[in-house]
Amino acid sequence: MEMDTPATDDLEWLEADLDLHEDYLDEDLEPPLPEEEEESFIEQVYKHPHSETSIKPDNHTIGSETEILQPKKRLLNPSLPDPSNVEYTVEEKRCKVDFCVNEADDDWMRYSSPEEEPVLVVEEEERFISRYATDIEGDIMPVTAPDGDRVYAKLIEEKDDKLKKLEVKGSSKGLTSEPISVLMQKMEQAELQKALEASVASQIDEDLPERPTMSERLWVDKYSPNSFVELLSDEHTNREVLMWLKQWDTSVFGSELKSTTDDVLSALKRHSSISQHKRVSSKTIFGRNTESVSNSETFGERNRFDKEKYDSHGMKELHNKKSKDLGPPEQKILLLCGAPGLGKTTLAHVAAKHCGYRVVEINASDDRSSSTIETKILDVVQMNSVIADSRPKCLVIDEIDGALGDGKGAVDVIIKMVSADNKSDTRTENIIQSEQSGKTSSKKRKDTPLLRPVICICNDLYAPALRPLRNVAKVHVFVQPTVNRIVNRLKYICNKEGMRTSSVALTALAEYTECDIRACLNTLQFLNKKKEMLNVMDISSQVIGRKDTSKSVFDIWKEIFQKRKLKGVRKSIDSCRSTVNEFTSLHSLISNCGNYDLILDGIHENMLQLSYHDPVLKKTVKCLHSLEVSDIFNQYIMRTQKMSLQGYQPAIAISIHGVVSQVEKPNIQWPKSFHRYRTSLVDKVEALHTWHNKISPCISRHISTKSFVEDLVSPLLHILSPPTLRPVALHLLSEKEKNEMAQLVSTMVSYAITYKNKKVDSLPGKLRNEALTDTQVLSFDPPIGDFVNFEGYRSNYFILALAVKQVLSHEVEKQKILQTSIGKSKDENERIYLSGKEKSSKPERALENTKSISSLKNSSTSNRSETVSANTIVSASASSRSATSSSEILKSSEATKKRSSGPFNFFERVLQMQLKDQFACTSSECDNWISASFDGMGKQLVRMEQKMSQMTKREALNSLSCPDRFASRAPEGKNRKSYKSQSRYAFSNLSFRGFVFFYCKVRRLLTPRTLTMSVAPVFSLRGYSIRTLC
Amino acid sequence: MLWVDKYRPKTLDKVLVHEDVAQNLKKLVTEQDCPHLLFYGPPGSGKKTLIMALLRQMFGASAEKVKVENKNWKVDAGSRTIDLELTTLSSTHHVELNPSDAGYQDRYIVQEIIKEMAKNRPIDTKGKKGFKVLVLNEVDKLSREAQHSLRRTMEKYSASCRLILCCDSSSKVTEAVRSRCLNIRINAPKENEIVKVLEFIGKKEGLQLPSGFAARIAEKSARSLRRAILSFETCRVQQYPFTSNQVISPMDWEEYVSEIASDIMREQSPKRLFQVRGKLYELLVNCIPPEIILKRLLYELLKKLDSELKHEVCHWAAYYEHRMRLGQKAIFHIEAFVAKFMSIYKGFLIATFG
Repeated sequence: MEMDTPATDDLEWLEADLDLHEDYLDEDLEPPLPEEEEESFIEQVYKHPHSETSIKPDNHTIGSETEILQPKKRLLNPSLPDPSNVEYTVEEKRCKVDFCVNEADDDWMRYSSPEEEPVLVVEEEERFISRYATDIEGDIMPVTAPDGDRVYAKLIEEKDDKLKKLEVKGSSKGLTSEPISVLMQKMEQAELQKALEASVASQIDEDLPERPTMSERLWVDKYSPNSFVELLSDEHTNREVLMWLKQWDTSVFGSELKSTTDDVLSALKRHSSISQHKRVSSKTIFGRNTESVSNSETFGERNRFDKEKYDSHGMKELHNKKSKDLGPPEQKILLLCGAPGLGKTTLAHVAAKHCGYRVVEINASDDRSSSTIETKILDVVQMNSVIADSRPKCLVIDEIDGALGDGKGAVDVIIKMVSADNKSDTRTENIIQSEQSGKTSSKKRKDTPLLRPVICICNDLYAPALRPLRNVAKVHVFVQPTVNRIVNRLKYICNKEGMRTSSVALTALAEYTECDIRACLNTLQFLNKKKEMLNVMDISSQVIGRKDTSKSVFDIWKEIFQKRKLKGVRKSIDSCRSTVNEFTSLHSLISNCGNYDLILDGIHENMLQLSYHDPVLKKTVKCLHSLEVSDIFNQYIMRTQKMSLQGYQPAIAISIHGVVSQVEKPNIQWPKSFHRYRTSLVDKVEALHTWHNKISPCISRHISTKSFVEDLVSPLLHILSPPTLRPVALHLLSEKEKNEMAQLVSTMVSYAITYKNKKVDSLPGKLRNEALTDTQVLSFDPPIGDFVNFEGYRSNYFILALAVKQVLSHEVEKQKILQTSIGKSKDENERIYLSGKEKSSKPERALENTKSISSLKNSSTSNRSETVSANTIVSASASSRSATSSSEILKSSEATKKRSSGPFNFFERVLQMQLKDQFACTSSECDNWISASFDGMGKQLVRMEQKMSQMTKREALNSLSCPDRFASRAPEGKNRKSYKSQSRYAFSNLSFRGFVFFYCKVRRLLTPRTLTMSVAPVFSLRGYSIRTLC
Repeated sequence: MLWVDKYRPKTLDKVLVHEDVAQNLKKLVTEQDCPHLLFYGPPGSGKKTLIMALLRQMFGASAEKVKVENKNWKVDAGSRTIDLELTTLSSTHHVELNPSDAGYQDRYIVQEIIKEMAKNRPIDTKGKKGFKVLVLNEVDKLSREAQHSLRRTMEKYSASCRLILCCDSSSKVTEAVRSRCLNIRINAPKENEIVKVLEFIGKKEGLQLPSGFAARIAEKSARSLRRAILSFETCRVQQYPFTSNQVISPMDWEEYVSEIASDIMREQSPKRLFQVRGKLYELLVNCIPPEIILKRLLYELLKKLDSELKHEVCHWAAYYEHRMRLGQKAIFHIEAFVAKFMSIYKGFLIATFG
């Protein structure tokens, strides 16, 4: 696979490239000349401005090495299976550069033979280029440089079949031709290189004959790893990804583990061992040609040995795993995330290719709306291509976090598929297989399971769009590869491209770009093209574009809290400069993020967890001072809207960095506490406001939020839960206690506080009270207790027993109802004139009702006795009715004494009923009463009418209070209508005043409309208009 | 009802503290007209009580019949309309509201409501006051813009509307507004005045007060009458008959602050500071104003502090409170104060004891 694909690719590419060269003539380069005869070799005409033979004008000032179009060489060596490998080795040997040998060992071995025949450079003294065609003998070809210079290049036909090397002169550079600074630099670099890598003969051969031609192709693409072992990313990650892909094998290929696994494992093993033995191997391998063979052989042997050991172990492991789950892996989606330029996409591609998949990539440039992507994914995941190559496909969704709206579509589709998959998890492997083969577009169910590996790639793992994906996917976070690896790779590429660099400079570059190999390569290519040297000293000032990175806030916090380690040697010299660098880098980092508020919150949150040395808290004070400043600053900016001042905010964070930064890695938390504080404060204020609005205005107007928490809440809690209140039944309380109780209830009512059932939560304050059962916890309804419920603090207010709370809540409810009714009747009183006595008696009685049963009894008794003494027929009839219905055998025509007891009993019962709210149990009884009384009433009406004129006002009223009560029950009874008609009948015979009183009482039970309807005819009869009433 | 409300004087004549102010107000009102008024003084001194009594004096008993309303305003502010909602208390004669609840849009509220009142001016002014009264609470929390807008409207609509402003500190009210009002300072009642009130209540409730008991409550109340009466009632609930050395239960948050203070005194380290931060958050979450926390914390710290440090600590407390008012995130500033205190105290301890 590796053998043919790159070669064909290269060929294709070469063709394209040649065309390109026509257009992109560089002043520094001579374009390759296309040959007419296909067999003939293309000569790379090159020139060196400093060489004597150069005919080119002097405007090519920048010295460059001799160059050869590298691909041509491949063409020249068609017999070689993998020309690139040969090239590599050749160059490696020549340059004696230590680089990481990524090629497979076997390949290396195999290809080492051609390299034995040294590729000789054929020096030609002839002129190849001239301004004048006459200067050149043989075939010529005109070449025009961009600046208009026209030269003629000679076309040479190589005689040598085997080695077709093109040579140019100018290889040797005279010392004089270079500026002294360059020389100095070179020396310095050389020395540093020596010091750093003892094994490397650092000097770059001055007369290196082969120079890969600068091509238009990006180095990034050109040198992107083609095989798994070339990958730069973290080995562990690579391995994991590969393993994951391998787990699909059974379901995708339907076979047991493919044999490639051995290769992979061995490659992996070797890969790691190479990095370990890099030093050794590189030294030996590149020492001498002859030696290299044997060395590499031994090396290979060692690897094989290792491999065998590893394999047996690894395979066993794998097989074990396989036997456990034969289907696709647990997590069907792989999510790779990491900073740009770490090689995520490359890894995905390489790994997929390695495992025998055809990679289908969907990236940000594609249409990613939900509908289109679904079909696309389905295509990829379920169908096999008939035409091109029948390898199963592997879907790579690149930059999935990129566009929020679009990316989400993709994520949704994938999630849907995964969830569908999980549902059908029970299917056996066979079924899946058969399904997979039989799966066609016709089977377009909505929830088609995922049958092919899907790799998603993102930069920001915590992008909101990815949230659902994170849960179902196997996530791999890419870490930066070590600078060494990057540098080695860069150096290798530089050497290949013939660019002169030093490892120091490359290290600096790698550090500068944060191991973003793409950025490194692009920079290098750019510099190479400009024929500039990569300068260590002014990397930042050089053309190298710094990425406009916006890192996550976590990284920023880390940067702030963590001191960068300085290289020991350079520390003293660079300390000044490094602080400057640190400042600028931090500054740009923070200002790129822009969310200063969050950054400072995070600093505040994590600052005290750091372990900086601070005996008298000077540093802490300083930091907090800075935080304060930023807060004040922020407030000022917000108030005055002078946003330009925001530019100074990063400086504050940097000053904190200066104080507290440590070498050790900080453990950074997201700043939750401040936000939690904010939200819960809002909640509390809200609760307070609603409570405040519930309190009657004459009290609430005196309380502000501030005074509530400051002054009121603690005493209120004490007052509301008096320890003196005994948890006994209401009637067992002494008179004094009853008074206290009444007062407490009125306080609670006036402050709109009651007890409510609350779900049991293990509040420490609640646990204290042993009397509480788990099922019922009554707590204050506006949870005022929470306002003193500080963490780690227990207020010492007494907590009432559950029984008392229940009684209290009951009382409070009652009181509330009564208050509203009093309020209503009062309103009525004001509107309609009633006699003073009535007016006073009603609220009075209502109040009495509420206070206690006994007092109420008394009052009603007194009322009754008055009624009885008046000896009206109505009251007598009422008494009789009540007596019979309550199955107390009392006859209506009894003595006055008995009669007096009748109403008494009756009213007492009714009142008790009302007080105890025993509606449910007595409703049927009540109904009986009511109907009976109305029946009786009808008969009595005539007589009542007669007597009415004789009755005093109050007597009439009192007599009416009986039907009144019944009617007040009526709406809750069953046959409401009949009651209404009956009551209407009754009303028609009542005096106006009596009705009014009735109206007051009933009003809250009947809607005004029904009442008016039922009453209107009566009043029109009687000559009253409703208007006078309302 | 709590005693605070039960024994709140309804009329100017019944006022027990600030009698002189009450009399002056009475005189002011009886002459048919009154200027704009600005009441200021510490909390719990009786500003609101006086204002209510004054309203009653002006309009009679009907001023006490108030209803709560959630009013909505649509304010046309140039290109957009702003919807505002605010709870108001109103009677036929006056409107009472808390404009600072509207946040930064408070100025619209102030203008709108005054205009509205001017529009609905009672036609028949016979035998009645020709104006309505607008009571604005917490004027010191009004934004500067609102106060500026207030001063124009105050003059423009003065024929139909009187303002009674109420705030804790007049320093936050702009000069312009202050000069348009009659400023009435309501002092915190003196301790003997508080004792007088407590004894009055005790007599009304028929309680036996041991000698010096009322004085103790008054002393603990930090000269806030409200607090004094509330803790008096608390004592009554907890234990009656009173004993002269009865525990007067403190405010819970003050207890908590003193816990924090003792935490600080015990150990000075970033770790401890972190714990303290958690506790401070607890207080802040429960709506306790940061200024009060800081003040109380200083008070608690000073209790246990060596006298030579007191000056410095006070200085820094003032410094940080100032900064707190400039800033927004109170926790930063309180914490900075705690850190500063820790630093000073630790330095002092090291210097003294080595």
